[in-house]
Amino acid sequence: MKKLIIASTLMLSVVAPAFAHHSPAAFEAQKTVTLTGVIKEFRWQNPHTWIELYVPNEKGEEVLWAVELTSPTYLVRAGWKSNTLKPGDKVTVVGRPLKSGEPGSAIFTSVTLADGRTLVERPARQGGAK
Amino acid sequence: MFRRVAVAGAVAAVIAGMPASLVAQRGQAPPPAEPLSALAPENLAKPRPKAPFDLTGNWFVDTSAGPDAWRFGPPYPKLTAKAQKEFDTGMKLLKEGKVYKDDIGQCWPAGLPLIMTRYWPMAMIQLPTAIYMVSEFMNSFRTVFLDGRQHTDPDIVVRTFNGESIGRWDGDTLVVDTRHFRGDHHWMDQGGASIPAGEQLRIVERFRLLPGGKQLQIEYTMTDPEHWEGEWKSTKRFNRVNDSDIKEVVCLPDLNDHLKSTRSKTQVQ
Repeated sequence: MKKLIIASTLMLSVVAPAFAHHSPAAFEAQKTVTLTGVIKEFRWQNPHTWIELYVPNEKGEEVLWAVELTSPTYLVRAGWKSNTLKPGDKVTVVGRPLKSGEPGSAIFTSVTLADGRTLVERPARQGGAK
Repeated sequence: MFRRVAVAGAVAAVIAGMPASLVAQRGQAPPPAEPLSALAPENLAKPRPKAPFDLTGNWFVDTSAGPDAWRFGPPYPKLTAKAQKEFDTGMKLLKEGKVYKDDIGQCWPAGLPLIMTRYWPMAMIQLPTAIYMVSEFMNSFRTVFLDGRQHTDPDIVVRTFNGESIGRWDGDTLVVDTRHFRGDHHWMDQGGASIPAGEQLRIVERFRLLPGGKQLQIEYTMTDPEHWEGEWKSTKRFNRVNDSDIKEVVCLPDLNDHLKSTRSKTQVQ
C-alpha cells in the first residue's frame, strides 16, 4: 500500500541554506513527508539533481511530486550514480515539504531503494581543507 | 589621374557615411589607445614586483563556525528607510513561511558579495596582471585586474552583478576595490534579510593568505548610501579544496519547471 505520511520529526541534518540556488525558507525545517511511489524521471544535473515520482494521495489519485536534491558532486560521494533511480522504480523518499502546504514539492532527505538500500546526501562541504 | 580621383571619391563617400560626431573629431587629438589586455603577452611580461602570494586554486567558504557563516550579517548596518522597508517585508513574509524576492532562486546572478560564499567552490587563477575567478555556482565569472589600470568611466562601463574589480598590493595584502554594480535583482543576503544592493555599492576587500597557505581571509568593507549608513564590515575565511574541480553549472530555462518550490505560493515577488 503506497502511503503518504506527513510526520513531525526533529531534523538532525544541518541545513545548508546557500547550497541550493534558491532560498530554503520555503521548506519546513522540522516536518518531513514520506513519499512511497513510482519514479517518473530522475535528472542527474547541476545545480540540482531532482526526482519526479507519482505518489497516490488519500483519495487514491496519483500526484506528481518533485523532490529537489543537491548536485551530483556531493551525491557521488554518498554512493549515488546517474542510474541509481530509473523510471518505474518503486522507492520511498523522505523530504521536507513546502510550508504553504501545497502538495508536490519537497527538498530531499533520503531515499530507500527497492533493494532496501537507503541513500542520503553528503553533507555540504565544510571547506574541505586537506 | 583617374585613379587619384577614384580614391578621393571613395574617401569622400566614406566620410559622408560617417556619423557627424566622428567627422567632428577629425583634426583633434586621437582617442587614448586601448589598454592592453591582462592576457596580452607584452602586459604579462612587464616588470613587476613579485606577488606576496598566489591564490591559484579552488576555495570554499569556511563554515566551521556554523552553517550560516556564508552570510554577511547579522549584524547589519543601520538601513536607510528604503532598504528597511524591503528588509521588514522579507522578515514578515519569512514568518509566514514565504520567500520574498528570491531572485537568485529565479536564476538571476548572486553577484558580489554573495557569490564568494555560496556553498560551491570558487576557482582562482592568478597571473601577474589579473586574478580570474570562476565560481562553480552558475560559473559566475569575476576578474580582479592587477595591471595598474583605473576603473572604467562610469558613463561607459557596463554594470554587472560582480562589478569591476581593481586590485593592488599593500605589503602582504591584496586590496581589491570593486564598483559599477548592477542595482536591480541584486541582494546582500538571501532568505529573509532582503537588503538590496544598489548601483552605489562599493566593496573593498583585503585578501590575506594565512600562514601555511591553506586558508584565505578576506576582510570586507561595503558601502552603499542608498541602502545603509556607513561601512558594513565582515570577515570571511576560505579553505583550499584540492579534491575536486569546478564543473559546468547553469540555471537552465527548464530547471525551475522541475523544482516546484520556485513556482509555489511560497514565492512573493
